[in-house]
Amino acid sequence: MSRRSYSKHIPDFRLVTHFGESGNSMIHSMSLWTKAGLLAIVVCLATVLIDPILISILYITCLAFYLAAKLPFKVLLGWYTLPAMFVFTLAIMFIFTEPGDEVIGVDLFGSHIQVTDNGIVLMYKLLIRALAVVTFSLALFMSSRYSHIAYLARRMMPRTLATVFLLSYRFLFVTSDEVTDVIDAIHSRNGGLIRGVSRQTRLFAGIFGLAFIHAFERAERIAKAMESRGFTGDMPVMEHAPRPSVAGVSVVTVGVVVLAISVYIRYFDSSMIWW
Amino acid sequence: MSRLVSVAHIHLEDGAFSPEWVIIWSVVAGAMVALALLVLRKGKVTPRKLAIAAMCTSVGFAAFQVSIPIFGGIHLNLTPLIGILAGPALGSLSVLIINIFSASIGHGGWGMVGANTIVNMTEVLVAYYFYRLVRSKLDFNRFFSGLGAAIFALSVSALVIIGIVAVSGLQDSEQTKEEVLGNMLLIAAANIVAGVIEGVITGYVVSFISKIRPDLLSDAEGNGRQDPDTASEDIDAASD
Repeated sequence: MSRRSYSKHIPDFRLVTHFGESGNSMIHSMSLWTKAGLLAIVVCLATVLIDPILISILYITCLAFYLAAKLPFKVLLGWYTLPAMFVFTLAIMFIFTEPGDEVIGVDLFGSHIQVTDNGIVLMYKLLIRALAVVTFSLALFMSSRYSHIAYLARRMMPRTLATVFLLSYRFLFVTSDEVTDVIDAIHSRNGGLIRGVSRQTRLFAGIFGLAFIHAFERAERIAKAMESRGFTGDMPVMEHAPRPSVAGVSVVTVGVVVLAISVYIRYFDSSMIWW
Repeated sequence: MSRLVSVAHIHLEDGAFSPEWVIIWSVVAGAMVALALLVLRKGKVTPRKLAIAAMCTSVGFAAFQVSIPIFGGIHLNLTPLIGILAGPALGSLSVLIINIFSASIGHGGWGMVGANTIVNMTEVLVAYYFYRLVRSKLDFNRFFSGLGAAIFALSVSALVIIGIVAVSGLQDSEQTKEEVLGNMLLIAAANIVAGVIEGVITGYVVSFISKIRPDLLSDAEGNGRQDPDTASEDIDAASD
């Protein structure tokens, strides 16, 4: 469980890892290969589907997957803030300028500003797609053990990239705590974060400067320790992720078929959507 | 606190680009990463370098999550700083991994990892070479070199963002490329303003690091990597 996190709106890797290591749902027992295959299919479907109803069905399916893993819904709602904010910051520009019928409009400073029906639909689709993928992605990481993720990364990435990836994942918890420690230290000395831009900038330069210095010094110590233990640049993976079961392969196959149908509908025959 | 403005990052989620453009940007990013790996393979990648790249990645990702309460809340990428400290090849791997971590928690979509990596690799490359140029050829001080490198890199990457989004368009949107460009210019302007703040922070951090661990900057300054064991002399000199 996390010592603390930056915010309840940002996913906490310690909490994610805690659920991944300690959960016992049927999703936890599913092979990581199967879940990774399904994530790829969900990402492809979110990209290919353009009908709002089908996108909504995709989201509901992803949410059902998350809940089947016995993961906390309230936590997920808090973590939705991040992708929702990103969609909103982009869509806010398009919701007013998208061609379509006016839903609501006001005259402001001599010009007419309007929100169109197409603008609202565009924002809805962007939001639901984002939430569908985030929900599935979090469900995957919150239902998978670190050793399995490490195995998958080692198998799928070039050696150097995999080594940096796996080392980064291990360092992540330490550096996150370190940055939070410095921020806590500022708070504890009654140094609130609301200051002038100049002072604020110097304050955070100190935080990140210290974080980098500490990180480099720790990296050098770790490198020496690893070299003295015979490290040659290859991260050993001690445990293999289990192969997908027959049921897992079947689920992925169904997903691939659904994706193929979605591609066909999008590019060749949109009349298959009758509503 | 959630953030309102963000720096130099395509905060588009999955489904914003059409499948064709997701594939195109992913292939381009894949080629850039392959090039970085090739460069690393030609040189000697020591465990120290790998550990430093990993630490840069984890600090970069941690910094991603800290919202600074300026202009309603911004977050930093620190990618120009990663470029200066880790170099172009390892820095490129770092930003790719930061984007993978970010996608896993909804900070940009999985399909956007390719486009985001192109943007962030641009920042790493431009910042590294800009810093190297102004330090070794023009002999600017470290604060202004870091400041200039970050602002220039983030401004270039803002243009890359505009280019990528304007070329790709938003799927489902009926707006023309010109209209999308108009909308993106406003977002890019906000990014460049926030980029100035990141530039100042980068300048301060580079100055700070130069006083404590100048050996960490020697590669970007064209001096060759200094042995960390001799860094104590620099620390003594800096403290004097």
